[in-house]
Amino acid sequence: MSEPTAPVGESDEGGRFWAGLALPGIAWLAVFFVLPFYVILCVAFGTVDPLFQTPTPEWNPLQWNTSAFEFVFEGLFTSGAGFQTVFVRTFVYVLVATTISLVIAYPVAYYVARYGGRWKGLLLAGLIAPFFISYLMRMLAWINLLQDDGWVNEVLMWIGVLDAPRNWLDGRASSVILGLVYGYVPFMILPLYAFLDRIDRSLLEAARDLGASPFQTFRMVTLPLSGPAILAGIVIIALPMFGDYYTPDLLSGAPQTSLIGNQVNLYIRGGQQVPVGAALVVVLMLFLTVLMGYYLYATARAQRRLGA
Amino acid sequence: MTLHPRESRYGRRELLQRGAAGAFALSSMSTLLAACGGSNGGSSAELQIATPDNPVTWPIYDDNPMIASGLEPEGGTLRIYNWNAYLWPNIKKNFAKEYGVKVEETYFSTTDEAVAKISSGAVDFDVFFPTTDRIGRLILGKALQPLNAEYLPNIANLWPSIQDPWYDRGSQYSVPYTTWTTGIGYRTDKLSTSPDKLANPYEIYWDPAAKGKMFLLDDSRDAPAHMLLKNGIMNVNTEDPADIELAKNELKSLIDAASVKLSTDDYTNLPEGKAWVHQMWSGSAISAKWYLPEGTTADALGYWFPEDGRGIIGSDMIAIPKAAKNPVLAHHFLNYLLDEKHGYDNFAEFTGYQPPLTVLDPDKLVSDGVVPANLRTSIVRESDFDTAFPLTELTPEGATAWQNAWAEFKAGV
Repeated sequence: MSEPTAPVGESDEGGRFWAGLALPGIAWLAVFFVLPFYVILCVAFGTVDPLFQTPTPEWNPLQWNTSAFEFVFEGLFTSGAGFQTVFVRTFVYVLVATTISLVIAYPVAYYVARYGGRWKGLLLAGLIAPFFISYLMRMLAWINLLQDDGWVNEVLMWIGVLDAPRNWLDGRASSVILGLVYGYVPFMILPLYAFLDRIDRSLLEAARDLGASPFQTFRMVTLPLSGPAILAGIVIIALPMFGDYYTPDLLSGAPQTSLIGNQVNLYIRGGQQVPVGAALVVVLMLFLTVLMGYYLYATARAQRRLGA
Repeated sequence: MTLHPRESRYGRRELLQRGAAGAFALSSMSTLLAACGGSNGGSSAELQIATPDNPVTWPIYDDNPMIASGLEPEGGTLRIYNWNAYLWPNIKKNFAKEYGVKVEETYFSTTDEAVAKISSGAVDFDVFFPTTDRIGRLILGKALQPLNAEYLPNIANLWPSIQDPWYDRGSQYSVPYTTWTTGIGYRTDKLSTSPDKLANPYEIYWDPAAKGKMFLLDDSRDAPAHMLLKNGIMNVNTEDPADIELAKNELKSLIDAASVKLSTDDYTNLPEGKAWVHQMWSGSAISAKWYLPEGTTADALGYWFPEDGRGIIGSDMIAIPKAAKNPVLAHHFLNYLLDEKHGYDNFAEFTGYQPPLTVLDPDKLVSDGVVPANLRTSIVRESDFDTAFPLTELTPEGATAWQNAWAEFKAGV
């Protein structure tokens, strides 16, 4: 957490060399991020082929057709309209799922980092293991667990919580949020672990020496120090959750749990309104950029504070 | 736009075959990416909306001629562009052996994805499976080539009426492949009632006994069509805003009344017990027997289609893209599929979607055990096409209105 070294002058030979090393990365971003994003923009501002009804991107920004955005904004700002309902629902689901993920991920990461001991490697492998199975397969597994004669019902009936099997897949929000939490929580544990593991033990010892109780040490030293990691974890899982559509599709399939991603999918998969789907993507990205911007601002501020 | 019975998104067969995850992202993105290729679309001046009341004879263009008669089939690789699980692998294997060629099948997951690629001219498939609502546009864009009937004698094996279909008079650009109806599948072992016992069979969707086990097809045309029929609106291709509003409100009322869910995995949802009532394609009702869990027999399944035949009907076709590298071989393949035995095997052993072969009468299908006796209603008869209503293409304005209504329902407002 030291002050970053002062930027090397532009005229410096070595500086140019090091800047040159960034070129492959910049090229990569341009080819695989900027260009595809421009295509999406051109589709969103484009038209459809009159004959085949396939999207026709408008490459020239001067001739962009804004009707898809007008339609999307109308739906977003009309109370009770489809887009607004789905957008608010998505926000609520992501908020709840992220909060639950944090409550689960923090203690797990904390435990592995502080008390993992010689099991640390094994515990880490266990945390990474879910990545070996595709997200989709894991959700399909949940369908089997949650179905009428699945293990969830059997266990709940065995311990006497339920008298009869409950239909967890009947389109309830809780099942979708469970799916989101289950699917994304490992992505939150890893950055938290990486950060908690690096906390300088001498800081904690100093706190104890100065008379802080273990809880006070956690509250006044560990927790503030892990602030940027918590924020990073939230950003890492919240961003993909906003675009998720297969979790609600698989674990619910009901209209009352559909997310913004489902509306994007509906418009992009078929029909002659692909620009509307692309416009939804752009609007969602703008919204996420705001969140991302706050994250960058907050981490920069934390760096400065810690460096001071 | 209309989904196709094979637009089954998360079907297990499909999933396992494709190896899961990337499939989603890819299928959605491909529509966007295909757009980059631009299009070679021609003028839409001659575009007509084909319906049974307005059968259309599509033009033959000088610069898009059919192949000459009497040519030898090409060697090499026959490339098929199809829905997944819509062609029995043994058909490919046997055809390859008989003709000494290789057969390669590529899958698409939505009609729009396929149309985007075929119309771009960037792909050179030999055999393609279009839908009735898109074939006109593909023909006018010269993406398909006219067929030479001399290579297709087996078309005589089909029902006489379907040899001259309303969507392509004279079968100039396509040959029929399968037929189906859209009815209601239900579990006789779970429910005390059934659609045929109700004064208005479509009321079954509101049955509180099946709440949480209620499914409609995830299809912006099929699902609202049943809402229209429930209200006695027989013009299922209506574009009247009042009709669209009515269908939308009926659909919305199902959210609270039945916790309705949307899926195109009707062929597994019903036999596996996820659904007790499921709007269903007849081909799925026939396939369902393969997905019954241990201890459940086909007697537990029911399929309702209006007794007077005034329900939803559909048919599929096969065509040859203009860009085909092996057009003669492709003609032979089409004829091969129209063969009575091959068509029957393909249906009975694998797809569950019935080819319109004259030889397949309902009694034979039941006695052969292809269709369980209690699912006899899922067999399509030639006469059904006189009474039932196909979902035809809509005007762009109509299609937009329906899609937006569907999106609003799916938003769960």
